[in-house]
Order: sequence, then C-alpha cells, then structure tokens
Amino acid sequence: MKKKGDMATMLNSSGYIFRETINSMKRNPWLSLASVVTVMVSLVILGYSIFFLANAANMAKSFESELEIGAFVQIEYTPEEVQDLKSQIEQMPGVESVTLVTKEQALEDFGKTLGGSQGNIVSDVGGTNPFPDKLTVKATDPQNVKALASSLESNPGLYKVRYGQDFVDQLLKFTQWLRWIGFGVVAAFGVAAVVLISINVKMNVFSRRREIQIMKLVGASNSFIRWPFLIEGLALGLVGGTFAAVIVGLGYNWITVYVQSTLTFLPVVQNEVLFRQVSMGLLLGGMVMGALGSLFSLQKFLRA
Amino acid sequence: MIQLTNVSKIYPNGARALVDVNLKIGKGNFVFLVGPSGAGKSTLIKLLYREETPTRGQVQINSKNLVRMKDREVPYLRRNIGVIFQDFKLLPNKTVFENVGFALEVIGVAKREVRNRTLATLELVGLKAKETAYPHELSGGEQQRVCVARAVINNPALLVADEPTGNLDPDTAWDIMELLYDINKRGTTIVMATHARAIVNKMQKRVIAIENGRVARDEEKGGYGYDA
Repeated sequence: MKKKGDMATMLNSSGYIFRETINSMKRNPWLSLASVVTVMVSLVILGYSIFFLANAANMAKSFESELEIGAFVQIEYTPEEVQDLKSQIEQMPGVESVTLVTKEQALEDFGKTLGGSQGNIVSDVGGTNPFPDKLTVKATDPQNVKALASSLESNPGLYKVRYGQDFVDQLLKFTQWLRWIGFGVVAAFGVAAVVLISINVKMNVFSRRREIQIMKLVGASNSFIRWPFLIEGLALGLVGGTFAAVIVGLGYNWITVYVQSTLTFLPVVQNEVLFRQVSMGLLLGGMVMGALGSLFSLQKFLRA
Repeated sequence: MIQLTNVSKIYPNGARALVDVNLKIGKGNFVFLVGPSGAGKSTLIKLLYREETPTRGQVQINSKNLVRMKDREVPYLRRNIGVIFQDFKLLPNKTVFENVGFALEVIGVAKREVRNRTLATLELVGLKAKETAYPHELSGGEQQRVCVARAVINNPALLVADEPTGNLDPDTAWDIMELLYDINKRGTTIVMATHARAIVNKMQKRVIAIENGRVARDEEKGGYGYDA
C-alpha cells in the first residue's frame, strides 16, 4: 500500500522539495555559511593530509629504490686494506660500481661545508680525523639494494651501511604521527560541521512546525516531510565539499609547481587518478557530513 | 466502522482521560460527542486519527487496528480521515487555494489533479470566489470552511471535528453544520465533539455523552442533555 506509486509521488513532489530546500537555506544565511565553512575547513585539512601522505609514501618509495649505498670502512683499516675491500665488493653480484671517498677527502668536504674555517681542520676537530673511509656502492637494480645492503652489513671490514631505508624509517615514523594528528583535527572539525548542520536543520524544522503539523495531519509520509531537510543538509555539505575540492586542487597545483621549480630533487606526486579520487572523496565527505547532521536533528521528531 | 474496545487512556502526568470505553460507530453515522470540558472528548477524537494511542484496549477503524499499527503506516490512515479543529490551523502565508491544495500536494498528487480537485472542493464549501485570499482576509466562518475543504478534499471515509463551531457566532455555526450535514449525506462518517446545545438538540443525531472519561449516555436521535 505504500510502495505503490512512490516514483510518481517523488516526481510530483520534487518541485515542492526543491522550493523548500532553497527557502530553508535563505532563512538562516549566516548559520548556513558557518555550516559550509566548517565542512570546508575539515575537508581542506583532510585533502591536504591525503596529498601529504601520498607524497610521503611516494618519497619513501623513491628513496627506498635509490641505487646508492654508503658503506663506512672500519676506522683502523690501512689504505691498502681499503683498496682490497673495494675490489672485493666490486666482485659481488649486483654491484655496478664502487667509488671510494677517503677520510682525507671527507674531511676536506666537511671543511668546505663549514666554509669559514681557514687553518688546519684536523686540529680544529680535535687532532685526529674523525671521518672514516666511505665506499659508495652502486647497485645494478633498485630491487637488489636491500639485499645488497644487508650482505654488506655482514662484511667485517665495514662498520656501518647506510642506504635509503634509514631515511624511509624516519619518514614513516613521521607520517604515522602526522596521520594521527590529521585524523584528530579532521574528526574535530567534522564533528563541529555535523553539529552546525544539525542546528541549522533543527531551526528550520522549528520555524516550519505549523506546516509540519498539518502535513502530518493530512497524511504526508514521514519521508516526504523529511526530504527537504535531508536535502538541505546534503546541499550544505556538498557546497562545503565543493569549495574544499577547489581549494585543495588549486592549492596543491600551486605547491606542486613551486616545489618542482625550487626543490627539484623532491619527487612530487602528480597523479590524475588520485587527484580525481580525492576530489570525489571530498564531495562525498561533505555530503556524508550533511546527511549525518540532518539525520541527527530529524531523528527525534517525526516519529509518528 | 469505528470500534473502541475497553479503551483507557492515562496520560504520563497521571490524568485519567478515558476509562474503559466501549463504542461502536457505523459507516455513514453522524455522532455528537458531548460532555463537560476535560471529560475526555478531545482524547477520544485524538485516538481516532491516532494522534494518541490508548494505554489499554483496542481502537479499530475499518477493521484496522490503530494500536498495533506501525508509525510509518499512520500517514496512510490519515489520508482517509479528515480532521477539523476549533482554531482552524490554516497556514497564514498561503492562500485559500494553497491551503486546501496543500493536503493533496504533500501526499504527492500531480499538479493538474491538485488544481482540479481543489477548485471542486472550494466549490463544494462555497469559497470559489475567495481562492486567492489569505486566511487573515477571511471571516471566522470562511476560515472554518477552508479547514473543512482541506479535511474533505481527499474524500475521507471519516471526518472528525473537535468543536468546529466553538469560535463561530450561531448563524455562522449553522452554515458550517449544514456543510457537514451535506458531507455526511455523501457517505462520510462524522464524529464531532461539541458544546453547542442548540445544534445538538436540533440535528437529532446520535449523542454520546462522556463524563469523567466514561460513556455516560449513548442515544440515537438524542439531545444535548445538560442544563445551561
């Protein structure tokens, strides 16, 4: 008895529902604006967090696949022993080349980075050269870097092996941390947005209570009475989501261009698919917040 | 058509509005509910369009059980019940036409049909000339006619009225009663709570007197029965 003709009913009612939605948004313009802005802020933060995390993951991956491994030779090794070690490593499978940076060279480079220091650097740093000899090992295949690094670690002639992994570990720790903070901030703003939308809808329910009373009296279905309010919430959320998508999209584009022209070594994610997914996600997120806000305020009334 | 079985209604504040009421009202009947203020007439009316549900007992309309009815089924019950109030309950910012058509619009009737049926109903209640007027531009009697039009536009089997003439002068009240009489003649069952002695005495319809929540008297072709 109730499913019959629901489509026709919806069609006949769409004009009414649309009019009511516009009217309610006009009724409380400031509250509507506040709702839209909070939705927007929460989603902008969400959007940038996603892009940041995507970039961090991408960075981690590209550093992981760096071909170079830094292997530090035991400090007491003589130059001859270092040469032996170098040729020994050159023979290892998967190694493309080995370059030696001697401790003297390292000290000199260090001195250069200090710039100002004139006299004897060795005496400046305490009489002995603190730097070890370093072998820069280049792998033939990025896939091999990790295996190669671990086999180098077991070489008694080397006391430390460094490759992208170190940096990656730190980066991952940081992104983990950021993920929680981001989650917290997004959740806080999300809750605020839902509450504001819910207040917005509630006020409109209140200002239309006579009309609603009569609608119930003449047998308007609950869903018919709810639709304008639900759509109002959805519309507020969607507008917020749209602004957020535009801000995140334009902002990210700008940052990308800036980073690529100044920090050329940083790999920046420019993924059309991710871009579209994030935009759609933000729109959807806005609508979900709007729907939640409406549902919270409609839950209590319209029982019968 | 209407059957109340052992119906009691106790409000959350402890007020006993109805006590063990048993009633049968047949299809096409015209019934007056009389009795002192606060005797339970309004509660009885509210049970009929399921604004309230009884604390105990059963309410049936057209063999539908209103107590066991789910909330989401209530709108479909109400499409078959017209309700009229003492205070009209019209929407002030809508015209006569819009107020009456509203009852069809919000149950999803197509625009053209809303228009045709609204005009026909306004003709029935004698307000066709006032279709573009707003409620505040109408007299009390005219406002009540709008309310009646809104209540009957969906051709309900049952029309319930809670003191529909309470705010009207005697002449206007008679106009409304004639209108209800016509509607009843077309087959609509009418249950009307009232304090209008003259009307009850003259119409010679079934009278049910409620006192302290109980049925004190139930007569075919009865009179008002209370001294002035």
